[in-house]
Amino acid sequence: MPRLLSRLTEIFSSIPALCRGDHALIDHWMRQSPVFILCRTLPLIILGCGSYGLSMGLWRGWEMASYAGIKFPLVVIATLAVNALINGMFAMVLGSGITMRQSIQFLFTAFAIFALILGALSPITIGMALQGPLEEGPDARTFHSITLLTHVFMISYAGIVSHSMLLGALKKYAHTKIAGIQTFFAWLVGNLFVGAQIGWIARPFFGSPGNDIQFLRDDKFSSSFYESVFNSFQNILF
Amino acid sequence: MHPEEPKYRYNPQPEPEKPYVKTFIEGENSFSNTISHLLKKPLSVIHSIDENKGVRWMPIFVMTILSLTLFGFIVGSFRGATEQMWLAPLKIVGGVLFSSLICLPSLYIFCCVGGLDKKFSTILGIQSCTMAITSLLLIGFSPVIWLFSSSSDSLSFFGFLCIAIWLVCLFMGLKFLTKTGKAFGMTHTKHLYLWAGIFTLVTLQMPTTLRPIIGQSEKGKILELDEKKFFLQHWTEELSKQQDRNREDSMY
Repeated sequence: MPRLLSRLTEIFSSIPALCRGDHALIDHWMRQSPVFILCRTLPLIILGCGSYGLSMGLWRGWEMASYAGIKFPLVVIATLAVNALINGMFAMVLGSGITMRQSIQFLFTAFAIFALILGALSPITIGMALQGPLEEGPDARTFHSITLLTHVFMISYAGIVSHSMLLGALKKYAHTKIAGIQTFFAWLVGNLFVGAQIGWIARPFFGSPGNDIQFLRDDKFSSSFYESVFNSFQNILF
Repeated sequence: MHPEEPKYRYNPQPEPEKPYVKTFIEGENSFSNTISHLLKKPLSVIHSIDENKGVRWMPIFVMTILSLTLFGFIVGSFRGATEQMWLAPLKIVGGVLFSSLICLPSLYIFCCVGGLDKKFSTILGIQSCTMAITSLLLIGFSPVIWLFSSSSDSLSFFGFLCIAIWLVCLFMGLKFLTKTGKAFGMTHTKHLYLWAGIFTLVTLQMPTTLRPIIGQSEKGKILELDEKKFFLQHWTEELSKQQDRNREDSMY
């Protein structure tokens, strides 16, 4: 028990330095084993993304909130797991000088910052959800759209800030600045591409008014995010 | 008017380019070390092969075949446990090897035209390493391909995704090819760019020739060699079929 407490204290005391993207802390973390990084970043990802996920589903009640609170950290971890191999290979092929192990450590660190930002914003979004109109009310659709846009904005903001900190550290680690930037963009595009699809499979998060509350949809494996975007464009244009 | 202002601008002489230093595979001559160098320092592998530093072709070739087989297996599993699970790896491995084989003479000639003075075996080595890097990256993408193959029913979407991933991996492999040309003292690398374009076209045509790879043939055939099609025509037809299916679905 005292060991767990001291570890938790250590994790929480590293939060300010992590948010600043402190080079000394990142240098120290990069020299450690992957288990060390996972022990420090996974609790932050689970807590930060979990509390934010909770706020996403809260408007539709506690059942949806708990589902979204469980799913959101899982989406982040699944994205990192699916992309781990190709991210490591990209780092090597693009000549960044970053090893496979370091690439995983870098990305977990970046997603820990992402989770911290979202976790810090979650009291606001929880308050917003609790103040929302009734699901059957006339303003439900408008509120749902506002909530959706707010979450998209906040998640994008957290993603940009966390990844820009990663870029600073990558430039420092890479053999050349260009190799660092190329690796950063390869990781960013890959994470966005896969993250969007995993998020699509894991829906619903918000629970549209009128739809049933479910952990996962029945048709979760019947289409992809990109097909639906393409079909939507097609419906608008033709 | 400033009388001290010089009448000419002095441009400092640009720094001379650093002389190219050959690197070789460091450490033990193991399979994993060769793979690691192939990704991190691919030129060291080709120099080690060129100067007979104990690096063998066979492990690189076997690794390429295994990687392509795994990629083919994942692509073939799109429709579940069908005969495509063994046909797709066979067609992908065969298609890539055949494309490499028919493009090898032109690579050798284009390298010579570009001013490269190397043996045919070295050019073969360069091409093998190019394909090895490409196939290794395909392995890196295999979890992504598996994710989309299990979450989408659209044949054209999955086909385009596989082609896009193939192009990304091939681009990385061809980047190594042009880098090697420059490192070996090629004077006109534009010939290599032209060859890279031709090779890309050949590898894009090959899946159309060896179709069906992802789905199953409407006529129940393993190969449709009798019906010749250019890959752009084939993919346009597939896309319009998908659009028709989407329209039908939206009507019900």
